[in-house]
Amino acid sequence: MKIGTERVRGVEHDIVQRPQVGDVSPYYEPQGNEVAIFEAAFKRRLPVMLKGPTGCGKTRFLEYMAFQLQRPLVTVSCHEDLTSSDLVGRFLLEGSDTVWQDGPLTRAVKTGSICYLDEIVEARTDSTVVIHSLTDHRRKLTLEKKGQEIDAHDDFMLVISYNPGYQTVLKDLKPSTKQRFIAINFDFPREEVERKILMNEVPGTSAQTAQQLVSIGIKARLLKDHGLEESTSTRAMVYAANMMAAGLDPVVACQVAMVNPITDDVELSDALMEIVHAHLA
Amino acid sequence: MTYSPAVEAALARIAEHNMGSRELVEASLPAIIRCEAGAVLDWLAACQAFIHFERDVGHTFVKESPGIASITGEVGRWTDQAMQFMQWRSSWRALEGFLTNLPRAYGALGQNGAQRWVEIGFGWCARHIESGAAYFSTPVVVLAGRHGGIAAIEELAQPAETLYRDRQLMWSTYLPGAIRVRDLLGASAILPWAVRGADIYQTGRARGEVYFRLESEDSIAILLDRLPGYRLTDRHRLLAMLLDVWFGGQFQLKESTWSPEHGRPFIETDGQFIYLPAVMADREEAILAVLHTAGHMRYRTFDRRAMQEMFKIAKVDFPTQGAVSWTPLFSRFGDDTLRFQLIFDLCEDLRIDFGVQSNVPNYLKRMRNAALSSGVRHPQSAVYFDLAMQSVDAAIASYAARSNAGGADQAKDTRFTALFQPTATVADAYRVAGELYASMSLPVVTDLEAFYAAYLPGRSPNATRMAHPQEDEEESDQSQQGGQEQGDQEQEDEGGEESEAAKGSESAEQTDSGQAQDVPSYGESAGQSTRSSGSHEKDGPQSGTSDKGIPYPEWDYRESRYKRNWSWVQEKRLGESNMAETHRLMRQYAVALKRLKKAIQSQKPTRTAPLSQQLDGDDIDLNAVVSYVAERRAGQSPHPAIYKRREIRQREVAVTLLADMSTSIMQHLPDGGGRLVDRIRAGVLLFAESMEEVGDAYSIAGFCSKYRDNVSYYTMKNFDEVMSDDIRAQIGGLTGRLATRMGAAIRHATAGFEGVESRRRLLLLLSDGRPEDYDDGGDRRYLHEDTRMAVKEAVAKGIHPFCVTVDTMANQYLPQIFGPGHYMVLDHINSLPNKLPEIYLKLRR
Repeated sequence: MKIGTERVRGVEHDIVQRPQVGDVSPYYEPQGNEVAIFEAAFKRRLPVMLKGPTGCGKTRFLEYMAFQLQRPLVTVSCHEDLTSSDLVGRFLLEGSDTVWQDGPLTRAVKTGSICYLDEIVEARTDSTVVIHSLTDHRRKLTLEKKGQEIDAHDDFMLVISYNPGYQTVLKDLKPSTKQRFIAINFDFPREEVERKILMNEVPGTSAQTAQQLVSIGIKARLLKDHGLEESTSTRAMVYAANMMAAGLDPVVACQVAMVNPITDDVELSDALMEIVHAHLA
Repeated sequence: MTYSPAVEAALARIAEHNMGSRELVEASLPAIIRCEAGAVLDWLAACQAFIHFERDVGHTFVKESPGIASITGEVGRWTDQAMQFMQWRSSWRALEGFLTNLPRAYGALGQNGAQRWVEIGFGWCARHIESGAAYFSTPVVVLAGRHGGIAAIEELAQPAETLYRDRQLMWSTYLPGAIRVRDLLGASAILPWAVRGADIYQTGRARGEVYFRLESEDSIAILLDRLPGYRLTDRHRLLAMLLDVWFGGQFQLKESTWSPEHGRPFIETDGQFIYLPAVMADREEAILAVLHTAGHMRYRTFDRRAMQEMFKIAKVDFPTQGAVSWTPLFSRFGDDTLRFQLIFDLCEDLRIDFGVQSNVPNYLKRMRNAALSSGVRHPQSAVYFDLAMQSVDAAIASYAARSNAGGADQAKDTRFTALFQPTATVADAYRVAGELYASMSLPVVTDLEAFYAAYLPGRSPNATRMAHPQEDEEESDQSQQGGQEQGDQEQEDEGGEESEAAKGSESAEQTDSGQAQDVPSYGESAGQSTRSSGSHEKDGPQSGTSDKGIPYPEWDYRESRYKRNWSWVQEKRLGESNMAETHRLMRQYAVALKRLKKAIQSQKPTRTAPLSQQLDGDDIDLNAVVSYVAERRAGQSPHPAIYKRREIRQREVAVTLLADMSTSIMQHLPDGGGRLVDRIRAGVLLFAESMEEVGDAYSIAGFCSKYRDNVSYYTMKNFDEVMSDDIRAQIGGLTGRLATRMGAAIRHATAGFEGVESRRRLLLLLSDGRPEDYDDGGDRRYLHEDTRMAVKEAVAKGIHPFCVTVDTMANQYLPQIFGPGHYMVLDHINSLPNKLPEIYLKLRR
């Protein structure tokens, strides 16, 4: 979320932040009907799953929607050590007392925020199960350790993101979890949309440069089956455009933003660089 | 003619021996007298000596003398030199060579050079007359190479001295080969090439001779490895990726049989496969070439209908099935075949390149730049090269006009415009080529080198291989068809090529001219190379398997580099099995096995309980909290370790037991009581039974070798196989054979771990001696070093090799190969069966 001028930077603030007057809407370029779908889901408070490759704009989309709907957004980046306690809350010792501290999910349930569990498959299965009761008609969060449960705030909404194919061979969401969500499929934007995004994200990017970067990206994505875990993302293109805007040589900019980060394989980077050279020759 | 009395006397002595000889001598005499009158008597004495010694040799000397005298301008010196040959037995062949080549040596090397040439030869005659003969009979121009004078001969002689001194390698054995190696790769390449050959020669004379004639694969491989330039052999994956990016879909890449002597390397296609040479001049050319060749397939040079049309224009019958030869299309131009072929290729390649440009941005520009920087053009074909450049410029202009305005093509150069139409086919190229041929007077090209030099970087002669017409417009259909009909088509190939060869020779007879013969034979040889590529070459680089086995690199410490595809491993199953022996061994070691199983059960890993009293964790550890609170209340300051955490520790281990199956295991044990192989069988068997108890994933294999291309790898049990009586019987029937090429076996075993999902992987090697093979040339260090590298590679892949040996001398070499602590020497061979499982259990702990 782009933060308005009057907000102070470099200090801690609560994870639950309502958009304020003066905040600027995050930039998002709709690719299809995803905005309408999300609005409908929000109207009915149905949980949403955003599916798509890394760096295609899932997170940005959600920031944009949260702003449009004027809801606070609580983001939890999931990782393999994330347990249900990390989401729901835990007892802490404070002096001679034990104190309960709410986790981010509980905070969101209480305050009526949009809770975004990013890369949910990374989390341990026990933590994905705690969301079950929140995602059906019950809309309840059980605090097992306290022996309590909370009825979710009317405006609470759960959103998860899920990157199919991203190391999901061994870990995948359980079908019982998946089918509780409205799923929106994301992919890399269409050529012309992607071009527009580049020019909007990095002011000063010429139409020609944007076109070249997009063409490189499209060709580079074809190499996905040759051992790339992740294909060249829109984000990587934006980075490359940024590096160019900062005065770096275009070929080097593409190398450091679009080639080096995604592979250590010498031949693969050789092939990727060949694509870069061909377009920028 | 009157001679001085001394000369008369000499002539009389010659006549005494043979009257005809006198006449010959008298015929040559005036020239000798004219040249150096003072040396006449010496010369006559030499004549007499040679004739007396061996009449034919004498006659050669007499006949060659006037010529030599007229070129050298002297007589005495070379007469003396010739006389020196008398001191060596059976030196007549060397002398003959000397006499024939001496005038050329003067011509090519000058007087001083020629003297040095003689000295080097004498050095060899003294050592080994055969080598001397080989040297003197080799034409001086060949010895000196294309650009070198006497310095080049010295360069050639230097490694010969070294090889003679160190390896007792005679020059006669390898001189012709060495000259070719020198011409291709420079003098520095001779020594390593010949040293390798000396190793092979030692293992077998016939094998060695084939090697030195540059006819064996080893020999060619070593040459290809050393060629300068951009190496394509290691870059199939990169090129395949590029093709996927720019054209989409799969192209089948194969290695061609190109060798340096074929001249400029090209990437070629026959409509089915793309053939890559081992090396190309540089990266840019290689990439352009692979894109261009793929363009031929994408833009359908081999489209059946288009080809039919082209043959119709040429008024030649189009074969209804099988591969198609290009030769009839060109042979109607008779002597001018090469010229027309160049023009046709220029047109067709331009059509293709124009198409490729729409797939690959800046492709034409790159080709143009590469051509500009490619340096010297061949004088004979420079005109073609320039014409090709003009055509590329026209293509660039046309493409730019089309993509900018989308309007009319206003190129100045309209000769090639027809080729830029999207509907243009190979037939159009043939038509345009015909027009160009008729309208322009381009110079005749006779030299194959000039012919090759006319091609822009990336392009190649299109007619080198039999064409495989492609049926459908649909790309997918085509590839499917290729897969299904592979077998049929390969058969067709052979038939087609034979008829092609026949056709080639026919047309050669018809046109009965030297140059025309050149062309069909050129086509023919290409046909042959396709055929040999079918039989010799391994399948696609991706598949990597064939009846030759799986290739692995081998480390050569002498050159500090890997030799690519050097050792070939064939995976086999053991033929023999012996259940009776297995039963006997099981009975013999029943007690030991029982003990082992008990030991294993007692140390089986149990599931670790949840860890309690942690500083952080998923849950509160109630007991810890109670004590914590109690301690706090009691006024202490306890450690707040009050969480519990679940963590299941699993030790996943996979192990391969790799047994050395060389001949030496068949030896009888010194203290009686059977043979070593009995102990090894028992050891492997007990190991397998123990593993069943432990429950870890395991595989069992044995290996042996004979030469680098014949490493046998016997898998007795795979990781995913269940232990069975069949496997037990195989272990019971295990016997020893051949030698121990350990590195290759380790590499293959390492590859066998692929797909095994275990965190710890162990390669347990059971050996009875050092790594050795028949072709290591007695250089023990060679295979030691290779094994060391193989171990290193395994470690890099997360596999821990460990060697168990019964060779009591093993601590002399195992520490270097496996590293300290990574091997164990068993002093008592009888303890092997019990020890082997125990060692494993210790290792996995």
